[in-house]
Amino acid sequence: MRPRTKFSDLARADREPVARIDPADLPPLSSPGPPPAKLAAAWPARMDAAGYPLDGTRVLAFPDPATKAERDALVGAFLSGLEKLFSRENNWTFLQPLLLSMEHCARCQTCSDACHVFESSGREELYRPTFRSEIFRRLYFEHVKGGGLVSAWQHGRVEVTWPLVARLGELAYRCNLCRRCAQACPIGVDNGLIAHEIRKLFSQELGIAPTELHASGSMLQMKVGSSTGMNAAAVRDNASFIDEEMTEKTGVAVETPWDVEGADVLLIHNAGEILSWPENPGAFAVILNAAGISWTMSSDIAGYDSVNYGVWYDDAQLARVARMHAEIAKALKVKKIVVGECGHAHKALLVVADRLLDGDLRIPRESALTLLRDIVAGGRLRLDPSRNDFPVTLHDPCNVVRLMGVVEPQREVLRLVCPRFREMTPHGVDNYCCGGGSGFAVMGGNGFQDWRSQVAGRRKLQQVLDAFSDCLEPAVRKYVCAPCSNCKGQIRDLLAFHDVWRRHGIMYGGLAELVVNAMKDVNPGFIEWEWR
Amino acid sequence: MPIVELNGRPYHVDDNGFLQDPQIWNDDVARDFATTEGIAEMTDEHWKLVRYLREYYLQFGIAPMVRKLCKETGLKLARVYELFPSGPANGACKVAGLPKPTGCV
Repeated sequence: MRPRTKFSDLARADREPVARIDPADLPPLSSPGPPPAKLAAAWPARMDAAGYPLDGTRVLAFPDPATKAERDALVGAFLSGLEKLFSRENNWTFLQPLLLSMEHCARCQTCSDACHVFESSGREELYRPTFRSEIFRRLYFEHVKGGGLVSAWQHGRVEVTWPLVARLGELAYRCNLCRRCAQACPIGVDNGLIAHEIRKLFSQELGIAPTELHASGSMLQMKVGSSTGMNAAAVRDNASFIDEEMTEKTGVAVETPWDVEGADVLLIHNAGEILSWPENPGAFAVILNAAGISWTMSSDIAGYDSVNYGVWYDDAQLARVARMHAEIAKALKVKKIVVGECGHAHKALLVVADRLLDGDLRIPRESALTLLRDIVAGGRLRLDPSRNDFPVTLHDPCNVVRLMGVVEPQREVLRLVCPRFREMTPHGVDNYCCGGGSGFAVMGGNGFQDWRSQVAGRRKLQQVLDAFSDCLEPAVRKYVCAPCSNCKGQIRDLLAFHDVWRRHGIMYGGLAELVVNAMKDVNPGFIEWEWR
Repeated sequence: MPIVELNGRPYHVDDNGFLQDPQIWNDDVARDFATTEGIAEMTDEHWKLVRYLREYYLQFGIAPMVRKLCKETGLKLARVYELFPSGPANGACKVAGLPKPTGCV
């Protein structure tokens, strides 16, 4: 048995990982047949000794401060940033729930049983949802509320050293921000928010954030138009290729409208769909055209990429990108923005942006899932559900379902187009995160992809296997519907890592593809059962 | 920035093992990086994919859509995975000296 990780371990000055995760300690997956041989050896083979390691993987890359003065400056910036998080002027968006989460935790640990990362790690203390929250809470009582002997006796204390600060920053990236714990908490304490605030402090005050989210994420998006690096010429070139492919495949002429002023709907996809899952934006084009919707896409900077990575780590970046999206809609004079199958974009533009946009930037914004429901349930397409004669299960993206309460629309669609739809257990607002939430799906270096395939995504993989337990033989083709790009990327990586397509015939994809696959007016066989 | 030694030559790579400076790429670099993918010998099919990726990258600054890659080279995706076991994005792009694809791909 491994030793129990303690708060004080984070302050250790040696260069050893605080916790070591052994694949043998993880809860076994109930999957028939032997697991692929690589799994036992694949991880954690790549231990990384840079900085003050946490658990054998790493997402934050920053130079190790060489001198005491440099270390003190970083700790000072951390402490002043901590104070700013608790002032109305500096953190008006999240101050109220943060204060509630600081002051009212009863330490009952109900949240721990709700956390997939904690459970799937074999209950490693480091990943207990209250572990980082409690350290952060102690720092709050000592450095924001004034501390003192009574406070130290009442709340406990941790010593602030650079190793502690550095490891706490990294630990903020072992939580998917799925907020299942906040839902389970009888008081509403939000450990996901605490992890988010730590990430924010690091980015906004120390200039430290994962490269995938910042330098090649939100910065790249604002510079060239998309975090994929696609500029306007590239996206137009790709979209016309998709139009050609869709026309060929469906037998119906497909043309994506661009930059149409006064259209009813501005559709913004996650641009990753265009590159990696072109059948999804293609399916939307087929559906919207068939339903007679007046719609357009935008080739403006950020207008063709709904992603807003700031929602995971930096409020200023979030606000900049949300504003760009709203400005584009305003310039195009559209009636509303519809966000495609992308969960975090729902949170950023449909929810958080409500606190940022004012005046004529308050343009109506809608989820693609309710639009699809209105089209399908409204009888605007001729459908033949027997074309979807294969088992389908549904993954609930946390940002769409738990956060927004969009639970039924996607199910109404599935019941109408997929006769063999079955639920996972649990589902709806009680769902488990795919393990890719909060940007993990786009982060992968230093063994992190293995970590999220083995630990963060383990519960979801088990749920998928359980949902299809009556038909796991590879000859029966099965489909996990994941209406969110981030979830889809994670589920792809999960299925590939555990060799599930080959061993069990489980494929993944979006919701719009299932609709087109059931449309009478297009050629059959829209969904291709080829691994990608 | 990590340095890896391939066939006796040192390369600066990112955390995912992708070549840091795409400018220094040439056929020898491709052969060196192919060893990290378990490719003993670069065949005509390997080169066809790598050259297409390279040309597309020089024109658009990013990697092409996988579907486009397959259509333009005439290779099925399953064949691409046989040639580059870790796939078009992580395997073929690495050998072609492209930066690791970014964003939700």
